[in-house]
Amino acid sequence: MADKKMKKAPLGSLQPDPDIFDWNDLPADDVFEKASGQEKESFIQDRKSVSYWADAWRRLRHNVVAMVAAVVLILIMLFAFVGPMLVPYGYAQTIRGAENLHPWHTSLQDQLRVEEEIQRRKDVLQAAEEEALTAAALPSWEEFKDQYVAEQLAAEAAKQGGKLTRQRENILKAQMANEAGKAYAALKEQAAADKDAVTISTDEETVKKELGIGNRPFGYSRAELERKAAGEKVFPHVFGTDYLGRDRMVRVMIGARVSLIVGVCSALLVLIIGAVYGAISGYAGGVVDTVMQRIVELIYSIPEVLVILLISATLKPFLDDYQNAGKLFSGLVTMLGPNLISMFIAFALLYWVTMSRIVRGQILQLKNQEYVTAARALGAGGGRVIKRHLLPNCIGQIVTTTFLQIPSAIFLESFLSFLGVGVSAPLTSLGSMCSEALAGMYTYPYRLLFPAVILSVMILSLNLFGDGLRDALDPRLKK
Amino acid sequence: MAENQNMEAQSEKLLEVKDLHVSFFTPAGEVKAVGGISYELNYGEVMGIVGESGSGKSQEAYAIMGLLQSPGKVIGGSITFEGEDVLAKSREEMTEFRGTRAAMIFQNPMTSLNPVYTVGNQLIEALRTHDKKITKKEAAKRAMEMLELVGINNVDKRMKQYPHEFSGGMRQRVMIAMGLICHPKLLIADEPTTALDVTIQAQILELMKDLQKKTQMGIIFITHNLGVVAEICDKVSVMYAGKIVEQGAVNDIFYHPSHPYTLGLLRSMPRVDADEHERLIPIEGTPVDMLNPPDGCPFAPRCEHCMKICLQKMPPHVEIGEGHKSACWLRVLEKKKDESVGAEGGAEVRESKQKED
Amino acid sequence: MPKYIAKRVFMALLTVLVVACITFFLMHAIPGNPWLSEKTPAPSVIEALNKKYGLDQPLPVQLVKYLGNMLRGDFGASIKMSKNRAVASIIAEKFPVSAKIGAISILWSVIVAVPLGCLSAYKRSTWVDSTLRVVCTIGISMPGFVVATILLLTLAGEGRPFPTMWNVNDVTWRSYVLPCLALGFYPMCYLARQTRTAMLDAINQEYIKTARSKGLKTGKIIFKHALRNALIPVITYLGPQIAFTLCGGFVVEKVFSIPGLGRYFVDSIQARDYPVIMGTTIFLATFIVVMNLIVDLLYKVVDPRINLEKGGN
Repeated sequence: MADKKMKKAPLGSLQPDPDIFDWNDLPADDVFEKASGQEKESFIQDRKSVSYWADAWRRLRHNVVAMVAAVVLILIMLFAFVGPMLVPYGYAQTIRGAENLHPWHTSLQDQLRVEEEIQRRKDVLQAAEEEALTAAALPSWEEFKDQYVAEQLAAEAAKQGGKLTRQRENILKAQMANEAGKAYAALKEQAAADKDAVTISTDEETVKKELGIGNRPFGYSRAELERKAAGEKVFPHVFGTDYLGRDRMVRVMIGARVSLIVGVCSALLVLIIGAVYGAISGYAGGVVDTVMQRIVELIYSIPEVLVILLISATLKPFLDDYQNAGKLFSGLVTMLGPNLISMFIAFALLYWVTMSRIVRGQILQLKNQEYVTAARALGAGGGRVIKRHLLPNCIGQIVTTTFLQIPSAIFLESFLSFLGVGVSAPLTSLGSMCSEALAGMYTYPYRLLFPAVILSVMILSLNLFGDGLRDALDPRLKK
Repeated sequence: MAENQNMEAQSEKLLEVKDLHVSFFTPAGEVKAVGGISYELNYGEVMGIVGESGSGKSQEAYAIMGLLQSPGKVIGGSITFEGEDVLAKSREEMTEFRGTRAAMIFQNPMTSLNPVYTVGNQLIEALRTHDKKITKKEAAKRAMEMLELVGINNVDKRMKQYPHEFSGGMRQRVMIAMGLICHPKLLIADEPTTALDVTIQAQILELMKDLQKKTQMGIIFITHNLGVVAEICDKVSVMYAGKIVEQGAVNDIFYHPSHPYTLGLLRSMPRVDADEHERLIPIEGTPVDMLNPPDGCPFAPRCEHCMKICLQKMPPHVEIGEGHKSACWLRVLEKKKDESVGAEGGAEVRESKQKED
Repeated sequence: MPKYIAKRVFMALLTVLVVACITFFLMHAIPGNPWLSEKTPAPSVIEALNKKYGLDQPLPVQLVKYLGNMLRGDFGASIKMSKNRAVASIIAEKFPVSAKIGAISILWSVIVAVPLGCLSAYKRSTWVDSTLRVVCTIGISMPGFVVATILLLTLAGEGRPFPTMWNVNDVTWRSYVLPCLALGFYPMCYLARQTRTAMLDAINQEYIKTARSKGLKTGKIIFKHALRNALIPVITYLGPQIAFTLCGGFVVEKVFSIPGLGRYFVDSIQARDYPVIMGTTIFLATFIVVMNLIVDLLYKVVDPRINLEKGGN
């Protein structure tokens, strides 16, 4: 046999052979007295028993990843819920004159400098052009036009063989004026090019670069800068503004808020429906249980996204009517829009199946335990003990599954919003913001990055914290 | 008989375990699963290892087979198999060792066989992993012979079946067949009958005795059931909290138990020949926390004869009879009295000994 | 075994039927009629259109007629987006592109995920494992459009290896790379996680101890004994991942401007082109159900214990 690994050194014995007995080494006689009960008690070191919840909390606290995720989540929640209160702009508020601002700006002074410089350059260009023209000794526009028209008329007349009618002349004159203009411009250009005109740019960005003007953070419109200069406090557009002049940061905050609320509400919806269904199915047992489980199987195999899209397509007319009728909740309906509502409906119809299976499993366990209790006739004490032991198991799994439903729902909602079948304008969601930003992606990637990053971080933290919850609440060993 | 000659020719012992220490290095601390045990096994002998859950009996078996999973490690002592140092073997050597020299069967036959492969596949695999030259046909033939040996009928059909198509007892037979198929010298059985019905238990034990007579292999039989021990074992080691507290021939253990723990075990067993209203006497107290084992005898808090010294120092092993050892300060006391008093005190000591029984 | 197949096939058919009925009734529950968004035509015209599309008959009759047509491959014709073009032909034209991209995506995700999951399980608690876990967790937290746009920004465009948009006239292997990468990323991460968990579970089973005690080599233990058992729960997740890839394709098609069925479907929803919506939904649903059925049958190949019930011990 080939020896691929080194042979390990033989391990020595840790203690001298316990069979060797030194009679001379015996301890004194009094030690051979019988030990009292107290002495025996102190011998045993009891391990403190910890309650289930305390143990779970301790495990969670020591999970670094989960704790970091929790902190990030809290920050995001502050951003989404408290943020809009701090920013004086509304998410639907369009600010005139502040359209398409970038998250950076040039200060007022710098802007004036740039404008001056551009004007100066334009003047220089103009002067150079005029110089070139005089050098080229071009005729004036009037002269050129008359000459050009006359030439064209003569050529036309020659073609027709004889003089042209007055009518025809006028028509031609009108046509020629245009062409004359073009020809003249061409001549000018030619002349300017010939004269080695100075090539200086009048483009704003290039001028800025050449002047060495940097950008300052945050976006401001011209008007806002002027107000600032006048001493007014103006809140900056940290992420810039969109094509309608709406502050992007507030929209991102609201988008995050919508995503979170949708996530939590969906999770709660799934929990309630799933728990009720599962509990009934498990508790009833027998035929009822079998039938209910068959239904679950059927629902499980229906492709959910398709149904959501379907429902959203069909719901709009109904909701429009509902809104207009001014009934209960119509304000809410208007705000959410038909797509979100159809998403909730689809959740209520389809997404609860996993939860119902878990709850049913727990109920079945509970049922068996109860029978055992009844058989042993333990009395009231038994039931309470079982609830104390079994409930942590149930609740642990249910809490974890519900919590992990939140990032799933947010994922789905952003997916739908991106496709355009999510939230309706003017309400925004991170998904729809990404969708809008798609067009200008290469020139202004920041428009896409802000909502995308916040969305990903949000889902990630929720997933990580959910994983941590599961590890903490599950009494089995961590994998 | 050829087997007898074989036995006489082999003067060396099959297995010798000396002062074995196994510890698990967990995040909570070091758990001393096995705290220095020693025993010997000869060819054709059946050694029973008795103890409750957590006494370390399975871990020391894993140590012999090299199956200890991290965070478990052998940290001291030696294991000598047919004169070779097992602990010094490389990984390659150990994979070769397992199955051909020593084999192990486990407690739960329901989960010990891979459910997605046929029984025949798993048997043939055991053969072909150690003998690369054997043909599939040859291997299949030997596998079927083995199955017949362990008492399974319709071998042709059975070879192509999956484990879930076998009953519990039959699965355990398959396990035994798989363990023996490469003719190992040592079989370690880790509670093989615990998960089976009593009647099936009896069948499996009969089978094992039968096979053992035929092959003269040594068996280490790990169990917590004293009835099974009485049925099949020649020698017994009683373990508590990772230490051997009493060791000896099976008759000595059952008729002259000399450790309070052994006594406790025997007393707590329900017996067919007991009086009608005789109470079962359980052992008081709870098992030891292996994370922080205290100094002294681990059984002390549960012992009715506990002395002060028992709480302070671990008692040494005392020879009580031929091959019969017990680790108890009571025995040390007796021996001291025996030696110092001489023949005169002998009667007194025997009297006090009888009182304890 | 035949009983198992029959049961699954029956459930599949039932599901498709249910989806078809749901679709049908939803479409017809809308107030008004499909012609309203354009300039309201004259009543006589409406009548004629209704008659042409069979909308003047009672609902159950319409349903039966529709189902009958469906079985013959006739899904009606588009009303708005491609006027009067048979939905079936639209599907036939656009589906292959989506299918190709979807198939490649799922294939590469499975081929990469399983070995990664095994590696992660085998090297548990080492830096290899930790890195893979982090990557996969991040991967399942990023919606498809985020991944797609990141890929576009970094790997596509001028002077970079891949095109930014799907050019129908110039389809090379490069056109497929980014969309398939984006589409397969989520399933890959998800399946890798599941494989890891399943492998860890399998490695902790008793039969692995038996295999080790038989003296089998480590490689054989992992790839023969553990892997096959680990694949069983992983196959459970394959079905939903296929459905996910199909729907994820909608987003990828939008980002990369691929003229596939997904994009057309989403557009049709916004345009309220009902025949297209109906036909495509039923087609896609049927496809998903058939894929799930195949995956279910795959179970039997891997796990001989399956009789009537799905699942393990």
